[in-house]
Parts: sequence; C-alpha cells; structure tokens
Amino acid sequence: MSNNWEMVIGLEVHAQLKTSSKLFSSSPNQFGSEPNENVNFIDSGMPGMLPVMNFGCIEMAIKTGYALNFKINKHSVFERKNYFYPDLPQGYQISQFEFPILSEGYINIESGDNQKKIRIERAHLEQDAGKSIHDIDPKYSFIDLNRVGTPLLEIVSYPDLSSADEVINYMSSLRQLLMYIDVCDGNMQEGSLRADVNLSVRKKGQELGTRCEIKNLNSFKFIKQAIEYEFQRQINIIDGGGEIEQNTMLFDTSTGETRAMRSKEFSHDYRYFPDPDLLPVNLTQEQIDKIKPLVGELPQDKLNKYIDNYSLDKDIAKIIIAEKQNANLFEKMISESTVKPKFIAAWLVGDIFAFIKENNLEVNSLNEKTKDITDLLRLISDDVISNKVGKEILPKVLNSEGKPSELVKELGLEQVSDSGELEKIIDEVLVGEEENILKFQGGSDRVLGYFVGKCLKATKGKGNPKLINKILLERLKK
Amino acid sequence: MSDIDIKRISYLAKLKLPSEKEEFYSNSLKDIIKWVDNLKKVDTKKIEPLHNVTEKTVSIRNDEVIKSNSVDDVLSNAPERAQNFFKVPKVVE
Amino acid sequence: MKNSISQIKKALIEKKISVSELYDEYLVKAKSGNNNSFNLVIDRENNISSIKDSQNRYDNGNPLPLDGIPLGIKDLFCTKGIRTTASSKILSNFIPNYESFVTQQLLNDGSIFIGKNNCDEFAMGSSNETSYFGPVINPWKNKNSQKDNLVPGGSSGGSAAAVAEGSCVASIGTDTGGSIRQPASLCGIVGLKPTFGSCSRWGIVAFASSLDQAGPLTNCVEDAAYILNSVNKHDFNDSTSSNHQREDYLIDMNNSLEKKVKIGIPSDYLEDVSDDILNQIDNTKKALSKHGIEFVDVEFKTTEYALSTYYILAPAEASSNLARYDGVRYGVREDGESLDDIYLNSRTKGFGDEVTRRILIGAYVLSAGYYDAYYRQAQKVRRLIKNDFQRILNEVDFILTPTTPNEAFKIGDKLDPISMYKNDIYTVPTSLAGLPGISIPSGLSKNGLPLGVQFIGNYFEEKTLLQLAALAEKELSFNEQ
Repeated sequence: MSNNWEMVIGLEVHAQLKTSSKLFSSSPNQFGSEPNENVNFIDSGMPGMLPVMNFGCIEMAIKTGYALNFKINKHSVFERKNYFYPDLPQGYQISQFEFPILSEGYINIESGDNQKKIRIERAHLEQDAGKSIHDIDPKYSFIDLNRVGTPLLEIVSYPDLSSADEVINYMSSLRQLLMYIDVCDGNMQEGSLRADVNLSVRKKGQELGTRCEIKNLNSFKFIKQAIEYEFQRQINIIDGGGEIEQNTMLFDTSTGETRAMRSKEFSHDYRYFPDPDLLPVNLTQEQIDKIKPLVGELPQDKLNKYIDNYSLDKDIAKIIIAEKQNANLFEKMISESTVKPKFIAAWLVGDIFAFIKENNLEVNSLNEKTKDITDLLRLISDDVISNKVGKEILPKVLNSEGKPSELVKELGLEQVSDSGELEKIIDEVLVGEEENILKFQGGSDRVLGYFVGKCLKATKGKGNPKLINKILLERLKK
Repeated sequence: MSDIDIKRISYLAKLKLPSEKEEFYSNSLKDIIKWVDNLKKVDTKKIEPLHNVTEKTVSIRNDEVIKSNSVDDVLSNAPERAQNFFKVPKVVE
Repeated sequence: MKNSISQIKKALIEKKISVSELYDEYLVKAKSGNNNSFNLVIDRENNISSIKDSQNRYDNGNPLPLDGIPLGIKDLFCTKGIRTTASSKILSNFIPNYESFVTQQLLNDGSIFIGKNNCDEFAMGSSNETSYFGPVINPWKNKNSQKDNLVPGGSSGGSAAAVAEGSCVASIGTDTGGSIRQPASLCGIVGLKPTFGSCSRWGIVAFASSLDQAGPLTNCVEDAAYILNSVNKHDFNDSTSSNHQREDYLIDMNNSLEKKVKIGIPSDYLEDVSDDILNQIDNTKKALSKHGIEFVDVEFKTTEYALSTYYILAPAEASSNLARYDGVRYGVREDGESLDDIYLNSRTKGFGDEVTRRILIGAYVLSAGYYDAYYRQAQKVRRLIKNDFQRILNEVDFILTPTTPNEAFKIGDKLDPISMYKNDIYTVPTSLAGLPGISIPSGLSKNGLPLGVQFIGNYFEEKTLLQLAALAEKELSFNEQ
C-alpha cells in the first residue's frame, strides 16, 4: 500500500546559460551546429591550453541570484572535478565545489491551493560536457565536442519536494524565472534545462530513507514518469523486505522505467581541488549592485501589478505572466493605447492566443502588430463595431490584411449606433408581437433576449446591442 | 600513515598496472608518502591554503565569440576520425 | 669562450657572417651532436624563409632584437606544425596547430629555431633520464673518470646540454621545482626562472600549473636578459599571467647596482654540505664583497618542509593535468577491445615510470580521506614558506644559495626517487614561493665539474637580480676559465 508512504525529493537542475561564448573559451555557445564546428583548442583539451573566464556567465549567475533570492557570494572558486569520459576532453570538469557563487536561496511554488517555499541550497557555475553519438554505428561511438564548455548553472534544491506535481511546479517556476531574467532559453528538448532527481521514500513521519539519483531528465513528462516509477520501485523493494542501495539511475524513455547504471569497480572519487589555471573569482559589491537593475520585473511582480493596477482577474493575469513574451506583448499594447488593460487582457488570452495557437506562431511575432490590434480593440470598446464583428476582423488584422478602420469600412461592418435608425428597426420588429410584449410586461425577462436577437438579426449584426437593449426596454415598458 | 590501496588509486588515475609492477609502485608510494608525512607536524590551524602565488584575478573575458581555428585543426591529430567526429569504440553506459 | 648574443649580432651587422652561415654552424653541431640533446632538429627547408627574412632585415639595417639567433626550444613548448612530444611516448606523434605564447614572442623577435630539446618526460625529473627518447649526456666529463657519461640535470637537461655543447646560442626551458636552474648549474651555464606569472604558460605542456614557469638557459647573464626581454610579457590568455609593467632588462645591465645591497645567506641551507658546495658560496661572497655588498646570515624556518610540500602539490596538479592524455583526440592510441581498454592501455603504455609514479602520488593525495592531511596541509605549508621568504626579503635584498647539493652524477646512478628528489632542495622553495631565481656558474668541483650558485630576488625584481648576477658573473669570470 503506497498510501502510508511519502516521497522526499531534491532536484539538481542544470540550466545552460545563453551567453554568446563558452564559459572558459571564446567558441560560440550555439546549439545545432555541424559536428565539432564550435570547438577550439581549449575545448578539445589540447596540451598547454588554458581557460579564461567569461564575465557574461558571472553576470547571469548574479541575475539568477537576485531572482531566486540567493546570497550572492563575493568570493567563489573554480575547482576541478576529476573523472574520465570521452565527452570530457580535459579529463576533468571545471566546476565550483567548496565556494559556489550562490548559496541559500528559495522560491515559492504552488502546492494544491497553498504556496510552498522550496529552499535552494546552492547554485554554481560549471562546464557542460560534449556528446557521444551511439546510434550511427553498431561498434563505434562518435564524439562531438560542440557542447564542451557551454556554461551551466547547476541549481541544487533541498529535499523539500514531496510529489511529482510539486517537482513539475518547481521546475516550471524555475524555467519561467530563468527565461524572465534572460539567462536560459528554457528549451528542454534541446537540453538547455535538465534535471537530476534525488528521490527517497519513507513511511509518513519517519526518518529519511536511502536516496537514488535519476540522471538527466529533460522533459516534464519524463520527470513525472520517472518519479512515479522510482517511487513505486523503492516501495516494492522495502515492502519485499529489501533495502534500497544508493545508486545512480538512468530513465529509459521507451519503457518508462528506471534502472541502475552499471556499477563501477570502485566508487567515484572526484578529487576536487582548486583549478590552478584560474584564480578565485572576487567580486566587489559595486559589481554585484550594477547587475541588479538588469534583472527586471519578475513574474510575481507582474502578477501583483496586473491585479492591483490593471484590475485583471487572477486567472487571466496568470496566463499572461506565464511567459515573458506574453507579458511583453501585453505591456506593449497597454503602453501604446488608451484601451482599458482589462479589455486588452480579455482579448489577448481569448481570441489572440487562440489565433497564435491555431497558426503555430510565436507570440513575439505579434510585437510588430500591436498598434493595429489596439486600434481594433479601440473600435470595439467604443462601440463602433460589435464584439462579434471584432472577432471576425481580428484574423484579418493579425494577417496584416489591412488597418482595422479600413477593414471595417470596406466590409461595411460599422455598428449602427444611430438611435433614430435603430428605433425604426425596433418598431418594425415589434409589429405583431403583442403576445410576447404582454409576456414581458407580465414579468418574463427571457423575452427581452428574444427581442434583442431579432433586432440584431434585422441589423445584420451591426446594431449596437447596448443601444438596442435600451430602446427596447423603453418601448416594452410603455 | 594508512595503507595504500594501489588498485584503487590506479583505477582513479585510469592506469592498468601490470601485476608485477603493482608492488613496485605500491612500495615506492609508501616510501614517498612516509617521506612527506613530516608536514603533519606543522601547525597550520590558522593558515589559509595558498592556491597560487598570484592571488588577484586578472584575466576576465567579455562575452564575445572569436573563432580562430578550423574543424580540421582540432581533428588533425585524432587517432581515428569519421568525417568531423572523433571516433572511438562504443561507450557502454 | 662562446659568443654571446650581442657579439653574434655585432658580427651579423658587420657582415662578418651571414644569418645562413650562422644557422648552418649551429645546425651541423645539433645534427652531429652525441649528447642526445634534441628530440628533433628542424629541417633546414623549414627555416629557409625565416633565414632569408632575417638576412633582409640585417641588410636593411633594421634587425629585430633576436634576429637570426639560433635557439633551442624545450620539447614542452607547443610549436605550430612541429612535433611536440614532452619527451613522452603518449605525445610522440603530436603536431600542434598552434604556437605557444613564449615561442611566438621569440619568433616575433626574429630568432630561428634549431630544434626541440630533449627533457624529462612531462618535465618530471632532475636528471633527464625519464625521457622516452633516452637520457641526455652532459657535455662535461669528470676529470677523474673521463669515460663516464654524466647527467645534465633536469628536466631542461637537453636545453642545458645543447647550450653547453654549442648547438644553439640559447634555449628556452621551463622550471617547476628547479628544472632550469639545476641543469644550468650542472652544465656550467646560466639559468633563470622568472617570477611566477611573468611568462605566459599558454601553449606549454602543463606539469604543475601553479609552479610552471618558462625561462632562458644561456651562456651568459646578458643573453638571459635578451631572451627575457622577448618572452616576459603579459598574456591575456593565461589567467595567472601578471599584467605589471615590464622593464627593459638590457638597459643598465652592466651598471653597478644603484643602492647598497645586502645579501642573505641561509645558514640552514649549508648544513651538511660538501666542501665543493661551500666553496661556491665562499667564492661568490669574496667576489662580491669587493663591491661593498654586505652579506648576512639568515635562517628559514620552513626549509625542511619544502620538498614534502612540493612533492604533494606538483604531483596533485600533474595527475589532473595529465588526465587529458587518453588516446581519443590526439597522441598515441593503444589498441583495446573497449573504450575503457583504450584509455587504460594508452595511458599505461604511454607514460613512463616516473610519470606514472607521480600521477599515482597525485591521485592519492587528492583522494577522499587524504585530501586534508596531504593536499590541503601542503597548500597551507606553502603559504608558510611564502611568508618565510617574505620575512627574509624584508631584511635583505637578495638571497644567495647553492643551486644544487652536488655536481653532475653518473647516468643510472640515482635509482631511488627520493634521493633524486633531494636534488631540488635549493630550488624548490623558491618555486613554491613563486620568486625569481637565477643560477650562474660559480666554479668547478674537485672533479672539474661545473657548479653554480643561485641568487633569489623579490617578486618581479628580475632587473636588479640580473644586474647582480651580471656583476657576480664578471667577478667569478667563469667563462674565461
């Protein structure tokens, strides 16, 4: 029975920093290039080559420090983590060990209806490794070193997570924040964001069990599957009278199962020591302070602003802040027009996002069209056209088929807001409806909707519904 | 001084010592470790480790790309290559 | 007496000799040498255009500082398109596609490379016996035992022997714990290890990164200044390269020292040393006392810990620095069934005994459970050693010590590693402190073999150090013997 069991999870998230060049070399930091195209003599571990630190990486680490509520350490040290692997040309990975650049941070995530604080132990800078390609040839592996030296920020949480959903929430909050502060592109499929999951199980209220580490998960789906599988695996072992061995596990994406990596003859011993080719990083308070303004508004700041200043509903505000580009688009529209933010927001998360989704577009691609969009929204909110007509014209505006006001004229869709004209139409509609008029006067409100519908039809949808409503009421109450 | 597990150390160093040499190195290491053991009597409680005599950070790069070599420059010494990859017998996880 | 760089340049300027003739003179010696001082002598064809360019500059009256000067390069410096082996089997087929910073400066200044000097494998050794290409033979012979082949010292043994035998005018070497000064002393030439951070390590096959430093091996102090002028420059690509303002070491080289100089002689260095060695110190003291230089006794508190500290830190760094040699991307790959076999076989067969030993020591002192007791403790003691030097250099301007505890010994004589390591007793402390040290010939032993003394100066005080060394050299007049 897994009911009595709970899982205890800590996450090590590796975020590739989106610098132009690598952590210790000037080679391009770029995904998808030709094999070994982005490799220089430093990256390939040639004799006598030396690392030189990229300040862009320090800057991004500091930004992350602000966004994740970290203590930003003025003194940090790059050390060598020694192990042999063909993806690792130097025979060691340059990382931070005893003195990381960031320590003791946290973020708040949603857990059910509540907020939960997830503490983060540390974050440190390190080099990514290359890639071995195993599926070209049955007997050989092919090594591509393009990824070697790509800057990674490894973010290590405390074991504060207790369900797959919390892990997903934590991971997506991290992803959202890192994308907001522009340090990681968040592309999990390309490996820009990967997680190692440390999971142990215990009976509720008991001490921590032995943990296993599931390596290198690069999608939310796999993370969830791996956690659920591993949770059950550990419970089954203990229930069967066994003990959990501390192991490094791989997740097989095709079977959805975890399995222990081939155990080595001896346990790992990385023999960390300070890299003698590099001096300690010593930052001044001034250098750190200078980076603070580059962090910009974080999702939570925007959420509060949208709700408090723009009177947005929380659900709508959340959809907008989910991704920075949404928020950017929204704020651009607000700054360019006098249409009420709430009105803009409703259209944005409704028809505009639907259009984007249907047409497989990037949100950013609308940045050029915000003026036209807000012009259209202006026409709607000023009752020049009806909502319905607005919905019809929107795709044409987004496809740049014309300016909103021209389209409205061309198509003859301007809303009829002339009371005289509407009175005439309404009087015609009411002819022969004595029975329904009596029903209304007898207290049946539903009849009003029937009359409005009829009037709209008579105006071919162009009649201003509010005005129609008003005139109808006057007429009916007589 | 503790015993030296020469098998474990050579494993860490990725060396496969022929069995007849294991004892040779094991003894040699024991002698040397015994010889350097005199450091243990130095009182260093209040001393910070010295990583490097130059203790100031000097070289910090701006985040700029410089490409100064071709793919061939990197691969020209490879014992085995396949197109623009380094080639090795299959790695088993 | 051999010609100095300034004498050779004078002859070239006065057209008493052409660049090509000069080059051939040295090339013939390098090719016909019996001392195994080169791993590779560069083909004449490869140098033809450099020789022509150099001659043109002389003909046009604007020669570069080292124009046409034939140099040897320790086979630890990566040289573009020229095989660079670190005297190791594992790199015996490696041809770099880049030029080390230091050798690039020498090329920029017009020098011409004769070849790559033999050295200890990955610069690990004090006798040049660990080279994959065989030992180097010291050009000097014991007058009481003429047929014995002696070691040249190490690890820059090929460089020292080549300069001493006259197959290059000067050689650029590297010094980690004495690898320039010790062979210079045993071969009767000048060897300078500059302050750590003076000369870029970029493109030098790394041994121990926090200690490695390039420097010249030359016939005279003035030549050392010539080479230092060329190679002592800040390099952005070496994060440990110092960016202080460099001086011109040739200007005022032979002027007397400006202020009154006080030299300390560490009494603890001279306990239990042979008369041969004591004589060197006495000779030097006498020679310099004439110039009003004051000598005082000083005493280090850390000398007995220096070798232990060094033989923990240097192997620790080396074990990591040599992890990149695996037969995957370059170097000699040994066969193997699996990738792991290739790694194991390439490394096990590719490294010689001494290198293997040091990799093992390094892995041990860094491993879990031993790190604090050995590696971290050694780093702390290193600070004490540095502080010790700073304390003494507050009292005196320079320190005078023997360079080596003994004369050149027979090849194959020292089999036990610890007795070999003890050769570096006078040079290692300076390396740990990162201070500059220069060895100059000071006299001959009873067996007629050269010996040297070492002057140690303060950080980046190479200019006055060279002035002092030049003065001592003149007074000791070893070159005239």
